[in-house]
Amino acid sequence: MPAHDLSTRWQLKQEIEDFLFREAHILDEHRLHDWLDLFTEDAEYILPLREYVEGKVEPAGHPIIKDDKDMLRIRVAKDDTGYSHVEIPVSMTCHLISNVVVDASSDPDEVIALSAFTVRQARKLRDEAWWAGRREDVLRRVDGEWKIARRLVHLDNTVLPRGIAIFF
Amino acid sequence: MKNIDEVLSGVDWEQGLVSPEIHFDEDVYRAESDKVFNKAWLVVGHEDMVPKINDYVTNYMGDVPVVVTRDGRGDVHVLVNRCSHRGNQVCLFDRGNAKGFTCSYHGWSFGLDGQLNGVPMEQALYHGKLDKSALGLETVPKVANFHGLLFASFDPDAPSLESWLGEDVSWWLKNFVLAAPLGGLEMLPGWHRYRSPGNWKLVSENFIGDDYHVFSATHISWLAVMQEFVSKGMDAPMATYPANAQSVYEGAIGGAENAPFGMGMVTVGSDDLFQRDLSEAKTLGTDAVEWIHHRKQRLDEISKDLEGAPYSFMNGGLFPNLGLMGFFSPMIGRQFLMFHPRGAIEHEVWQWNMVEREAPQVVKDLAIQRAHQGQHMAGIVAPDDVENFERMVEAGKPTRNWERPFHYGLQMGQEDEGPAGLHGTMGPNPSEFNQRRFYRFWLQMMERK
Ligand code: FES
Ligand SMILES: [Fe+2]
Repeated sequence: MPAHDLSTRWQLKQEIEDFLFREAHILDEHRLHDWLDLFTEDAEYILPLREYVEGKVEPAGHPIIKDDKDMLRIRVAKDDTGYSHVEIPVSMTCHLISNVVVDASSDPDEVIALSAFTVRQARKLRDEAWWAGRREDVLRRVDGEWKIARRLVHLDNTVLPRGIAIFF
Repeated sequence: MKNIDEVLSGVDWEQGLVSPEIHFDEDVYRAESDKVFNKAWLVVGHEDMVPKINDYVTNYMGDVPVVVTRDGRGDVHVLVNRCSHRGNQVCLFDRGNAKGFTCSYHGWSFGLDGQLNGVPMEQALYHGKLDKSALGLETVPKVANFHGLLFASFDPDAPSLESWLGEDVSWWLKNFVLAAPLGGLEMLPGWHRYRSPGNWKLVSENFIGDDYHVFSATHISWLAVMQEFVSKGMDAPMATYPANAQSVYEGAIGGAENAPFGMGMVTVGSDDLFQRDLSEAKTLGTDAVEWIHHRKQRLDEISKDLEGAPYSFMNGGLFPNLGLMGFFSPMIGRQFLMFHPRGAIEHEVWQWNMVEREAPQVVKDLAIQRAHQGQHMAGIVAPDDVENFERMVEAGKPTRNWERPFHYGLQMGQEDEGPAGLHGTMGPNPSEFNQRRFYRFWLQMMERK
């Protein structure tokens, strides 16, 4: 982990932003196998829905997605079968990633990166969905490259506008 | 313009031909909220959603927002979420624990039993003339608890829930769906909800009987990846199919005087799935193995007077709008889905999941995980269903396209060619018998004067 030296931290932030922006392009270009390569082997990908419990917004019980890397592979393999109707024709997505903040973690090889996203998903002639929320990533440096070790997606929905078959 | 009777004459369930108009027309939709949703017994949740005094959870009955409460005495009520003063919603949250609800418009406050308890400046402004006892929240007149599953009906003259369900439906619901003799189910809290195109009946009839779509087209991507990943020895979500397809049947239960209840891919007279559960249990430890044996024994006991012991089921549906997933195995969570109408061509799915209470924790952990990977809004099964409904709506909106009926002709005349001696009728699987029964019952309700 770089020192508290300002220029090093600035450089780190740029590095992480670059990583997250490139990831967004990979998703929007549907290079899902390349996307899988961005995750560590022990990765977790977690997405809870939300509920209003006595005025507070809380995770609605068990996350609707709580994947390990194998389950992420299964999702990608499902689309690879050519019979995944929910992605036929494929969705056009645009992932807009912003509000990136990078913090040190207790592990010198890891950082915690917060980001916000808006994703527009368009399908077929008129079907579209807008998704928005925030992510809390744990990124790990593996052999000199950043990888996602854990992603927690806070999607701002209590009721989903449609089923989820894309990635955030 | 056709009147409703003319539209209904297009529901020829006997021939398996159903006019699409009943899935698209706004007048039918309005008539249906009165004739079906204001009369039927509807599932409003599970008692474990309100386990403690002063707990509440919100839900819908048709398109009416309701709150299910447990009052200070422990009694369960279903209240219409609408202030008696000027119709504002009084409960704003999905769930919680509170002594009551205070309306945000003029501040009238209500107890969890629906009673109007407080009116700001009551003496100064109403001069003692306000009859508070007549101005409580509307309480849904009929509420019943069926082994934990909560039902309610808006119809004060509704038959008892017992006779609405009837003996056969009760047997399957109690023993198979709610697993009462096996120790019951444990709630996984949280509403999981998604919007979907399509009339509520399209998804309800899908759950009550459409096993054709599962392997013929809609879910083949799921089946393909399951095979691939299970063969690699991975903890892939959900089960593979029973190896012996001859031993799965469609259960057609109730449905004449009682609410039709359909179960898809009921396994009877085959050991395949028990053996598969057992071999998986062996990888999870002795507790899991003992439990799998124990529950098999209990299942055999409850079926001992019948001619075959059913072991598990894939999917199910209870008229009008409850869907169920059993996925063949207790190693997968059981799913309860309500299909709430949202206008003629849209619905909202409200889903909760449960696992068998007596299962060892290691099984529960796996079952919980898998429950969210399958027939779930971000799973690898449900989104493909939603996609089909979206396409059906696009092609079905033009009124000229209502002339050609939807086709429900599968296994016509073969309906009872399954094992005899069980509750209800066992027929071949897949079949569209349960869909025909669904529309027969729907038509009966719609024609009732
Ligand atoms: S509308 Fe509720 S107090 Fe007036
Ligand atoms: Fe389906």
